[in-house]
Amino acid sequence: MDLQLALIFLQQGIASGLVSGSVYALLALAIVVIFKTSDVPNFAQGEVFMAAGYVALYLFVFQKMPIWVVLPATLAIAFLAMALFRRFVLDQVAKSAKDLVYLVIATLGLSYVLKGLVRRTGFGDTPRSFPALVSTDSVMIGQASVTMLDLAIFGAAVTVMAAFFWMFNYTKTGRAMRAVGMNPKAAQLVGVDLRRCHMLIWGLSGVISAIAALLISPKILMTADMGSIVMLAFAAAIVGGFSSLPGAVVGGFVIGIVENMVGLFISSRAIVLAPFLAILIVLVLRPQGLFGGKLTIKKV
Amino acid sequence: MSSTPLDSPATARRALSGPALIGLVAAALVAVALPVFTSGYVVYIANLLLVFVVLCLGLHIVIGETGQFSMAHAAFYGIGIYASALANRAVDLPYPVAMLFGALVAGAVGLFIGALALRMRDIYLALATFAFGEAMQWVFANWDSVTNGPNGLRISPARFGPIDILSDKQAYPFVLFFCLVMIGLTVAISRSRLGRSFRAVRESEVAAMAMGIDVRRARIVSFGLSAAIAGFAGGMFGLFQTFIHPDSLGFQTTILVLTMVVVGGLGSIAGAIGGAIVFGLISEVLRQAPQYQEIIYGAILILFMMYAPRGLFAFIGDRIREARHGR
Repeated sequence: MDLQLALIFLQQGIASGLVSGSVYALLALAIVVIFKTSDVPNFAQGEVFMAAGYVALYLFVFQKMPIWVVLPATLAIAFLAMALFRRFVLDQVAKSAKDLVYLVIATLGLSYVLKGLVRRTGFGDTPRSFPALVSTDSVMIGQASVTMLDLAIFGAAVTVMAAFFWMFNYTKTGRAMRAVGMNPKAAQLVGVDLRRCHMLIWGLSGVISAIAALLISPKILMTADMGSIVMLAFAAAIVGGFSSLPGAVVGGFVIGIVENMVGLFISSRAIVLAPFLAILIVLVLRPQGLFGGKLTIKKV
Repeated sequence: MSSTPLDSPATARRALSGPALIGLVAAALVAVALPVFTSGYVVYIANLLLVFVVLCLGLHIVIGETGQFSMAHAAFYGIGIYASALANRAVDLPYPVAMLFGALVAGAVGLFIGALALRMRDIYLALATFAFGEAMQWVFANWDSVTNGPNGLRISPARFGPIDILSDKQAYPFVLFFCLVMIGLTVAISRSRLGRSFRAVRESEVAAMAMGIDVRRARIVSFGLSAAIAGFAGGMFGLFQTFIHPDSLGFQTTILVLTMVVVGGLGSIAGAIGGAIVFGLISEVLRQAPQYQEIIYGAILILFMMYAPRGLFAFIGDRIREARHGR
């Protein structure tokens, strides 16, 4: 491969990587915000993302609802589903067994139920794409070709992440969430309603996943297995240290770029291995992640 | 709910009294006599269930004893299947040695992954193995020269010196024997100092450290053991099965084993065995309705976590006790 071509590949890889990376970043953000506050890695995040995509598809394509109804309806459904799962399932699990393992298994159960339900509807039998709302004409940035849709995805993702950041860091609700993450008992003592706070966090995490689904589903063929990209989001979260929100976002972009580079320079068949290799490399070289601070052991 | 949720040797001993003992003897008689009076299909299912018992024992060590996650159980199982089949044929090792080889390879890979993943948070093991499971399935499906790729590999009959095992009925005594050996091994591990250190780590990392237990080492060893046992189960599978396809070594299988352990009751060896048999039979019935399979597995995981976190048997026992006390 000569230098000229390598340069073009490099630019294309970064441009495409930032686009798919913005989806991984959103999902990683959704995972990390739950982990920070509940210590639970939510294995159902990918299926929540997938199911939200199908809700939107169902409302828009099959029910012919106008888009300005479909978007808020999808987000509201994702919020409610996750908040109710937290309130009615996980609170019950936490009541009957103290160990974290049980909560994690419950999220695995949710992932299977969601996948099974979507398969039952049969919408996933023929892979389809959500109609694009933004034109797919391509534009050149440097020597990389991207579509208007790509730019819209990137822009929307960054806006959502910035809004969430602001909420988490500068509002009273966000402060309550961070307090719960640091020490739930102390947070409760100063008047945080734990149950409501957890519902809100899980709900918001559902909304973020739904946004990710709405953004990417015009670009991919939707199937009931599309939730497996959560693998890349987990990899992104690990790259970012797993408890840092900016880390999750940067990790998402890093994973997106690495994935595209592997596809362009090595082989598209090797893409499946990219998340595992990325996790492995991070664990070997910098196990605390790019943004993870020192790990503190929780007392008994 | 009673206050000791997880089996200690004391409860295990108590379970071996009176009716339980009679039941155990009866089960043993049925198990031994099975190939005499049933068809080949029943024996095939019995073989398969025994393999799942061993897979569940492996998962039990890591999740039940140590409170860790392994999401790549099916991958270690697959490594065991391919490694022992190839060692038996290509290198012509006697099959029991080939099975040990399969277990060793799986265990070594497990130790490597565990040692890397457990450098930070313990939850990284779940995530790293999740990714590793996917990666291995890809390897199984693409490493054509070893696994015959997506076409699946024909496993030639297991060879014990001059004898080739050609039927399920022929294989059954061996499968049963190896399964009992693994049960014995798991009980021995669980009652040893090592097993106690696993449970100490599960109950409290800080308290375990204060007792002088190397927490990280305990976790890595438990994960490696679990991988080795899964690999051994792979070798047992090769005793009677003639064909392996990478599709059956994916996350689906890991979830199946996890569901079995959960149904039986997390943290108890008897639960892992009972869960493998009960849910193994249920899943065989569920094959009739594949479109509901995922929903049912998922719902079982959620409902058990919500209402019967100690498993089916403990749940039934509690209900009986409540009924006796007239509540």
